[in-house]
Amino acid sequence: MAGATHILPRVVPRPALWRRRDVRRAVTFYLLISPWLVGFVLLGAIPLVAAFLMSFTNYDGLNLDYLRIVGADNYVRALGDADAQYALGRTLLLMAIVVPVGLALQLALALMVNQPIRFSNIFRTIFYLPYVIPVVAGVWVWKIFVDPTGGLLNVMLGAVLPDPNIRWLVDYPTAVLAVLTIWGAAGGGMVVFLAGLQGIPAEYREAAMIDGASRAQVTRFITLPLLTPVIFFNLVTGIIVALQILVQPMLLSPGILGLSPGTVPPRDNYLYVVHAYIEIFTKQLFGYGSALLWLLFAVVLGLTLLLLKTSRRWVFYGVEP
Amino acid sequence: MSSRGALAPVPRASAETALRYGPVVLAATAFALPIFWVVVVSLKKQSEYGSALFPADLQWVNYELAVTLADFGRFAVNSLFLSGAYALLAVMVSALVGYGFARHQGPGRNKLFVLVLATWMVPGLVLFVPQFVLFARIGITNTYWPWILWGLSGSPFAIFLFRQFFASFPRELDDAAEVDGAGPLRIFLQIYLPNAGPALAASAIFMFLWVWGDWLYPGLLLHQENTTLAVRMANAYVDPHGNPLQTVTMAGVVLYVLPLIAFFAFAQRFIVRGIVTTGIKG
Repeated sequence: MAGATHILPRVVPRPALWRRRDVRRAVTFYLLISPWLVGFVLLGAIPLVAAFLMSFTNYDGLNLDYLRIVGADNYVRALGDADAQYALGRTLLLMAIVVPVGLALQLALALMVNQPIRFSNIFRTIFYLPYVIPVVAGVWVWKIFVDPTGGLLNVMLGAVLPDPNIRWLVDYPTAVLAVLTIWGAAGGGMVVFLAGLQGIPAEYREAAMIDGASRAQVTRFITLPLLTPVIFFNLVTGIIVALQILVQPMLLSPGILGLSPGTVPPRDNYLYVVHAYIEIFTKQLFGYGSALLWLLFAVVLGLTLLLLKTSRRWVFYGVEP
Repeated sequence: MSSRGALAPVPRASAETALRYGPVVLAATAFALPIFWVVVVSLKKQSEYGSALFPADLQWVNYELAVTLADFGRFAVNSLFLSGAYALLAVMVSALVGYGFARHQGPGRNKLFVLVLATWMVPGLVLFVPQFVLFARIGITNTYWPWILWGLSGSPFAIFLFRQFFASFPRELDDAAEVDGAGPLRIFLQIYLPNAGPALAASAIFMFLWVWGDWLYPGLLLHQENTTLAVRMANAYVDPHGNPLQTVTMAGVVLYVLPLIAFFAFAQRFIVRGIVTTGIKG
């Protein structure tokens, strides 16, 4: 594309299209992004439109012969689906636990390892480790840890309780799911917080210290306000992820140890996307399941926009680095 | 840490030291204990599983059984191929596209970039269900083609990462190369790519990890013979009577995770730097 810098020896009244500088630049740009663009059209846009249309049909994933347009029936049915409502309730409950507790933990971990302490690299690695461990393995870690037969948790509780024969996965499956989720996500959030902390100029904190602020005051009045953009980022991604949890409850279903994955999780962990997954892939209700997922997308989008609106009041973008 | 030993603040009182180290040690213990327990169980005799707290003799044979009882090698090769191919394709394509967005002008560029970010926000299953129907219609379920196609179209996350990363490069380099007659592709390959170390490493690791750890899509798209280690590891090992072998299962889980941990221990600094330099700050 070096031709773009040529100075033409004589004035050409109407240059051929491909010689025009802006056209060549546009062609270059579109050629460079073409892999994504083609992929986006074929694997993104068309499937999304298809999925949206599918949600107005009775599509079963196999037969086009029986395909019927059912209008808004799927959506009407979804709004009256008792299972879907129950599942949405469980999902919102899980989100209400996992997001605030997780966020506070991520921030606390980042503040802790950002101090001048010995072995801070080792601590960082330990906190980051669960984030690296794949879900399948993470679920095994907690399944075995809370197992009433060979798990360590009940043994440890035995030190303070008389006979803690607690069947965690049967009696408190949501607690296990929440701990697993928080533990698994903490490292990722911590790293983003660390990056944010390292972006705060040290002079701000030093100036406050010189003015006599205590360490707690510096954290409260200098560090936290400057971190609000990062808190906001982690909050939004945390909510988006929490509303879509699917694999963990599926794999966490107790059943006969290990023969269970893919079966229905216990009622307490029957989350919204689990419900959609079962409607689609087990009952082959592709049309209805798609409608369920679009409703979730609407909820996710609505919550994100709502947060974006409130963010003007508490997210602080004032300081140029 | 020792390099700045002379300047490091000396803790004034032991109370302050306790306050500084107490919570972090406690948290680290809580994080690591369940993982530690997996290793302990993986070294027990199956008869010790419900009875003894720690193994009397370390049963390394469990690791041997984990490999031989499940055709571990074959599934590991499947996982390695699928994760490696996807990561390689997705990273190269995303770097190229990110370079396009960062350095080249075209009508609708900003709107298209918003689309990149929007696809990142659409719930995964919303997108996957119609893709699944498409893959089934063109007959590429039970093959690795879906991952190749995903790789060839890049990853929104990585495109975003590379765009941010390349936007901070000095433009003078391009101008100089352009004067020398280099086209955009050569500028990308000879100037941008060789200088993108941290972003390449960080995104390659995440892309690899995504496929290595994914249980959902191989479970839906592949069958029992050509599936990945993640799907195989979701099921417990059993003895000939169908009783679960927790000890061998945990050995298998350790073998499944260990390469990732080794990889990460090596690459950790790239990840933090990749995130810092791309400025994901909301």
